[in-house]
Amino acid sequence: MPEPPESPRYLTKLAELFVAHPTVVLSGTRMAQELAISRSSVWRGIELLRQYGMRLRGHRATGYQLEAMPDLLLPALLAPYRKSGVFGRRVHHFFRVDSTQRAALAAAAAGETHGTLFVAEEQTAGRGRQGHSWASPAGQGIYLSLILRPPGPPAGALALNLAAGIAVADAARAAAGVDADLRWPNDLLVHGRKAGGVLLEMSAEATRIQHLVLGIGVNVNQSEFPPELAPLATSLRLAAGRPLSRLEVLAEILFQLEARYQAFLAGGAAELQAEFARRSSYAEGRRVRVGAGEGAYEGVTAGLDAQGFLQVRRDDGALVTVISGEVRPAGRGDGDGG
Amino acid sequence: MDIDKIKSLVAGLADLLEGRRLEEIEVQEGELRLRLRRGGSVSIAPLPAAASNPAPAPAGATPAVPAASEPAESLFVIKSPIVGTFYGAPSPGAADFVKVGDQVEVGQVLCIIEAMKLMNEIEAEVAGEVVRKMATNGQPVEFGEPLFEIRPRK
Repeated sequence: MPEPPESPRYLTKLAELFVAHPTVVLSGTRMAQELAISRSSVWRGIELLRQYGMRLRGHRATGYQLEAMPDLLLPALLAPYRKSGVFGRRVHHFFRVDSTQRAALAAAAAGETHGTLFVAEEQTAGRGRQGHSWASPAGQGIYLSLILRPPGPPAGALALNLAAGIAVADAARAAAGVDADLRWPNDLLVHGRKAGGVLLEMSAEATRIQHLVLGIGVNVNQSEFPPELAPLATSLRLAAGRPLSRLEVLAEILFQLEARYQAFLAGGAAELQAEFARRSSYAEGRRVRVGAGEGAYEGVTAGLDAQGFLQVRRDDGALVTVISGEVRPAGRGDGDGG
Repeated sequence: MDIDKIKSLVAGLADLLEGRRLEEIEVQEGELRLRLRRGGSVSIAPLPAAASNPAPAPAGATPAVPAASEPAESLFVIKSPIVGTFYGAPSPGAADFVKVGDQVEVGQVLCIIEAMKLMNEIEAEVAGEVVRKMATNGQPVEFGEPLFEIRPRK
């Protein structure tokens, strides 16, 4: 059955209807009335929900019944786990979307509020930096975008980028017991493989940030990866040795993000940089390759500068400030996304 | 600035404009920029970097060039709000967001400045024509560095 490129908006409401009545047999007609959709849309929705792992049992002539609580990132299921203040108070949930980042950027430009979460079970065009993609298979990872509206000038947002990586590492430890490394500026690595990535997109005037959209992808429950990603990628499940509740991990990420965001607002840029330097094996004394293609060079990392940029001592003795670009262990020519 | 030098420069550019059937030529030497457009309009303007410190050169130079009696047109300069790497396109190999000569609207994305994976989409603050693109793809830009010049639409 061909699926639509983006899940219809009623799908989340339909799923939440089942979650709200876990032991009840719900009639198709009643659900259609409740959601103001056609009976055939209900039937199609149930088929789609089953594809996303919802166990819905059909009862002849009476309706459908939820057999087990799904580990879906539905707003109604997230609410009891959520410990954060405003982060994730408003949620736009998608079963399938091209990119939560794209959806959140559009909503932010239209005035959507600070702390609003965009989260998807599956992305068909998950985004990394500079056109890289982020593999986003259904129901296995957490793919989220969060709207932030901090006060202050655009350059101040740099520390937020480090804060996001630290928060995701904190969440991996708290929710999965996994100790992760951070690769400058904010890749989440476990045993040298990528388990999560952060992308921050900003709309700003010369002196004032309009909004930021923080995009985070975390591999949570993948038990294997396609051959081209296998040498580069891992998941929290593989690291923890057990399947994890994505809802718990998501709630923890939101909580840690908000805590680090508060520290950022309180002027903690230097502290965040120091925290990053403590936690990252890439901050100092690590032999790396910077960039890709012609302009690439190798050297040894030499800490962060006052703005949080990575310093690299090149082989010719020059100290270079890395403003952007991929930082990889020296001698590996891979170019996994960013 | 040597007036004779400007004269000969304008004459040379005018020849080039005619010979090559061009619509417009713009040259830059030192802190002076010269633009000739078909129809006889010439404008001379100090570089944006020097604009805060008005040099006597443009004013003194205008009488030497008859067509430049109108003041240098006011171009809107888009500057980088952060230190970062300039990207003219959304991804490598993709078409540039804008090119010189394009008409842009307010809010239209002109480029991305990346610092530490913080992607800053730079938008046009005025509607008009992209007259000049100063930054090079993949190269670093400083805080406040001019990126584009836009001729505001009337």
